Amino acid sequence: MKLRNIFNISLIYSTFHIATPIIYAALCAAITQQANILNVGTEGIMLMGCFVAVAVSYFTGSWILGTLAAMIGGMLIALIMAVGIIRYNADNCAIGMGVNLLATALTKYLLETIFGVSGNFTDPKIISIPKVNIPFIENIPIINDIFNNWYVTEWLVLVLIAVVWFMFYKTVWGLRLRAVGQFEQAAQTAGINVSSMKYQALLIGGLLGGLAGAHLALGYTTLFREGMTSNRGFMGVAAMYFGNANPIFSSIGCLVFGLASAIGNRVQAYGVPSQIVLLIPYVITIVVLVVSLVSKQAAERKKKSSLTNVN
Amino acid sequence: MNEYCVEMTNIVKSFGEVQAVKNGHFNLKKGEIHSLIGENGAGKSTMMKMLYGMYDFDDGTVKVNGEQLTKIVPKIAIEKGIGMVHQEFMLVNELTVLENIILGFEPRKGMRIDFEKARADIQEYIDEYNMDIQMNKKINQISVGEAQRVEIIKILCRGAEIIILDEPTAVLTPQEAQQLFRILDKLRENGKSIVFISHKLDEVMQISDRISVMRQGNYIGTVNKSETSEAELAKMMIGREVFLNIERKAATPGEVVLRVENLWTSGEKENSKIRGINLEVRAGEIVGVAGIDGNGQSELIEAITGLRKVEKGKVYLDGQDITNFQPKKVREAGLTHIPEDRNTRGLNRALSLKENIVAVQVDDKPFAKGMLVNNKEITDYTTKLAEKFDIRPRDPEMITQSLSGGNAQKIVVAREVSIGGKLLIASQPTRGVDIGAIESIRTILQEVKEEGRGVLLVSAELEELLSLSDRIVVMYEGKISGRMDASEANEENLGLLMMGGADTAKGGAA
Repeated sequence: MKLRNIFNISLIYSTFHIATPIIYAALCAAITQQANILNVGTEGIMLMGCFVAVAVSYFTGSWILGTLAAMIGGMLIALIMAVGIIRYNADNCAIGMGVNLLATALTKYLLETIFGVSGNFTDPKIISIPKVNIPFIENIPIINDIFNNWYVTEWLVLVLIAVVWFMFYKTVWGLRLRAVGQFEQAAQTAGINVSSMKYQALLIGGLLGGLAGAHLALGYTTLFREGMTSNRGFMGVAAMYFGNANPIFSSIGCLVFGLASAIGNRVQAYGVPSQIVLLIPYVITIVVLVVSLVSKQAAERKKKSSLTNVN
Repeated sequence: MNEYCVEMTNIVKSFGEVQAVKNGHFNLKKGEIHSLIGENGAGKSTMMKMLYGMYDFDDGTVKVNGEQLTKIVPKIAIEKGIGMVHQEFMLVNELTVLENIILGFEPRKGMRIDFEKARADIQEYIDEYNMDIQMNKKINQISVGEAQRVEIIKILCRGAEIIILDEPTAVLTPQEAQQLFRILDKLRENGKSIVFISHKLDEVMQISDRISVMRQGNYIGTVNKSETSEAELAKMMIGREVFLNIERKAATPGEVVLRVENLWTSGEKENSKIRGINLEVRAGEIVGVAGIDGNGQSELIEAITGLRKVEKGKVYLDGQDITNFQPKKVREAGLTHIPEDRNTRGLNRALSLKENIVAVQVDDKPFAKGMLVNNKEITDYTTKLAEKFDIRPRDPEMITQSLSGGNAQKIVVAREVSIGGKLLIASQPTRGVDIGAIESIRTILQEVKEEGRGVLLVSAELEELLSLSDRIVVMYEGKISGRMDASEANEENLGLLMMGGADTAKGGAA
């Protein structure tokens, strides 16, 4: 095993490439988290997005329509959660898991009824998201390796991280959203419609979750497979948790997952058992959650201690 | 023109089966300060929360500036010029003062918030009312008094003409209260109409133009300040004459039962971290702990009782080192504890009277027989205590959920006092209970002292501390800012110390 075959320039793009679907999921979870709703249904929203994207792209021949439809599909799933959580006071973990099971079953059912197959569906008629070729950097070695031939949605995710950050911390909407999440009654007495803010957070989260699915099914791959999200939604939630629902820090959490998986894929070529490689993302998820929990608790304890900041 | 800016008539409001307001009336003249008084649970806050749209009203009519409103939500109330300073501040801890003030009414520049304009607008109000506010700090970094001023600025910025203050002085020192009253006077001069909810009669007599009284959800009457007296108001509030001033019996202090040495412990807020407290309580005396809520009183009690980790220093109970003992071990060493919040730590509201009465002794004989509980003993014991402490209703099987504050608190008091032990810690023992229960709880504390136990009494009511304590220590920002004999203490010198005034330590360690 040669280290330079594992740690080379292409590892940078691999990391980002693997992280992108998870970043979309993390953004989906971050928006609802700011309204104090832990988005357990991210996984299901994303899976629904995958299916709708593939189906619409197949029938219309347009990746744009496929992507837009996936976003709407994600939003509809989120709407189920929103009605349950906000209108009927359901527990968000229960309804989130319900939505995940629904998405698994519904996509399986639709796959069989619409396309008559089970398990996998690939077809040349599925139009994938195009790559962005930048001709004038083709001759610059390192820059070209890192930045050329990204999928459109990979560039888009960078824009979205910035947009979501701006929305949270610079706009009226973000201030209200954070107030709702942190102290609902204070927001209510300020005349803010708390339910409406929560609906908005969940529905916008749904749009992003659907987009996550579209990128996974039309960019990252070009197919639909049952359960193809493979817990990326949950990893997004974990990264969001790690990053305290801040889009930038959450995305950094996703890059950690991406890096671990990218290295895993490479060492597999050197005879490391694939079972271990497949295990990596899940181990990393647990490690990230434990580290973020422990460090949050330690920070909290330090903040409360009388022995720090003694005047 | 209508003389009244608010008219509420025949208001009815129920929460489940409890009728909080049975027959509510209230009207507010333009440019007056109108106090709404009554005991805990009389329905005063509920009335005003309905006016502000926090609750719907079940029946009755509400008119604001002559216009009848059938459905009020906070947004509508704000549009009609109503603002409310809630008892629990409606401020988001993690946001800055500035963000909190503009929340819901943000000046915009496109999609963005125009912080510059907001800052300038707010500064105008700060200057006009001569308030001390730091706009860039987060709420969890400022004092309670400042947070209250932030609340007032917030509602002024929203254009309030009718200002409701729900028990605003409960969290203030007497001096800070006077500062608030100057602001209220100025607001009245500027034509604002003010509703002042309180149960402190001296303040009401100082600040009001008119006073309305409620009792048990009913409207009792409205009087002009110039034509009434504290005694008359008290009678209207309670429905009978009361004598709260218990004659303090001289203490005959014995051995030291509690000694706290250089105690350091964590705090929920920067100002409530305990940083180096020394304290002694002797058998047969009541030591009062004064201070504005949030200056470390809760943390101190938690550290002594084993509910919070002691980071440095020692706690001795009757000579035994109990530092960082489990709460159960602390109790076994001879400490009993009336916690400050009966609903979270004092009682299990889902359980019955008898289960709560034996909650801390259920492992011991005669209430336990091996692994089993002895229900007969428990029932007999409960019946006896319910009789002795006048807990109503007397039914040992009754679930405590629906009990009034006074009766619920009596269960906690009965349980802790009857255990015996060396030291009783009573934290806010009369908070949120009716006058009758206050009288009896204070008498019980006095009896505990006469029996030769030590009592550490934490209270936000200065009048309670002054009437019961033999010695008083004052806490400020997690330290003791002063100690004195109760005979030397009065509201003024305690109030100064509560704001961190110079340490006037007398007679050595308390």
